[in-house]
Amino acid sequence: MDLYDLGPVGWVESQSIYHALALLGREGLILCYPTTPYICLGLHDDLDYEIDRQYCRERGIPLLRRETGGGVVYLDNRQLFFQLVLRQDNPLVPLRRHRFYEKFLQPALSVYRDLGMAAELKPPADIAADGRKSSGNGSGDIGRCVAYVGNILLDFDFVTMSRALKAPDETYRRHLYRIMRANLITLTDCLAYPAEYSRLTTGLIAGFQRQLGDLTPREPDAELRETARRVGERLTSGEWLDLPGRRPAGRKVKIAEGLYLLAQESVGRGRKLTLVRDGVAEEVMAGDDEMELALPFRA
Amino acid sequence: MQREKRAIPDDLFYDRNDFWIKVAEEAVIGLTDYGQGNIGDILYLELVPAGTVVRRGERCGSIESGKWVGSLLAPVSGMIVETNRDAEADPHMVNADPFGRGWLYRIEPADRNEIGLLMDSGAYQAWIEERICLEEKNSQGWID
Repeated sequence: MDLYDLGPVGWVESQSIYHALALLGREGLILCYPTTPYICLGLHDDLDYEIDRQYCRERGIPLLRRETGGGVVYLDNRQLFFQLVLRQDNPLVPLRRHRFYEKFLQPALSVYRDLGMAAELKPPADIAADGRKSSGNGSGDIGRCVAYVGNILLDFDFVTMSRALKAPDETYRRHLYRIMRANLITLTDCLAYPAEYSRLTTGLIAGFQRQLGDLTPREPDAELRETARRVGERLTSGEWLDLPGRRPAGRKVKIAEGLYLLAQESVGRGRKLTLVRDGVAEEVMAGDDEMELALPFRA
Repeated sequence: MQREKRAIPDDLFYDRNDFWIKVAEEAVIGLTDYGQGNIGDILYLELVPAGTVVRRGERCGSIESGKWVGSLLAPVSGMIVETNRDAEADPHMVNADPFGRGWLYRIEPADRNEIGLLMDSGAYQAWIEERICLEEKNSQGWID
């Protein structure tokens, strides 16, 4: 199995290289992080439903739609990506694709545990530490391959994420920030020292080697780079980004596995906001309440 | 892997991407019970619009379940004459009733000879068994 330990890459390359590997029918493991921030939509996300385009434009945050599943994510250089491309006929790939997460996420789980965090798999595809989401993951069939992609959150820009997502009103946005902050956890939250890229990648590589066998370090060759360039143009094109996608009734943001913030249509003076955890309404809030949170974006 | 009993009606044809095909003047196409079971809870379904001409094996839609997306590949060539808008609006219908209300689209086959490339129920059952056995052998216990 080829290993591409790329370190810092351009924001488009941080997605396009694994797409290119898959389209070329080549298996490989990629480790990298983007040098600049961007917003990444899942294949079936609807841009206008999900994203405050004006905010992203004003802040110069570019957009990309990947061909794997899961929802909208804000990505930057404080997240380490691990991306595994396997041919669909690889015996490792189960008929029930989601079952592979159990295996795919073991290396990241080991990294967290080596750092002293009590991390565990929250099926199908989250890693949770201390009951809070610490890694986002998704997968998709691309060409004749399947790509599994995940990340380790060294830190997370909760403010920008909550601003970039479309919100029906500012109260929803405040709750979104608060709930994300309470239900996501990063290495910065847990460690007294900064986590080094090399320590994390060493742990990931060791973990993947246990599952995949020897990994051969490689640099992207000309064919891969050219394919990635073309794929990158497509993934960021206006036509591709504007493809229609799912638009649930009311506003619904998934925060972690089984955790959603819903906004129901206006009832009386304001909207009713509901935090749903594993199918149960955990918190119901008025959309126009006067709760003030000391958020930087309100300053 | 825990084996589950899956329906495989005798009056349908099947392909290796887990689609069923009911052949008459037109063909009705859907996902098999086994196929929907492997995909899991379907959260989103998108079909190419009626009027689209597709070739066998070409993408004719996409599907998303929890944390996975994949393409729907046409089992036969032809022009799609109708898509199941109800299933697009409520994809869980495909899980709940894959051979009935969860059908995906109707297609006017372009080449009747392609029907001969499909499997009957017995061959499809045997092919499923073969895949399950292969996966059990390869997974070596890491999958429940």
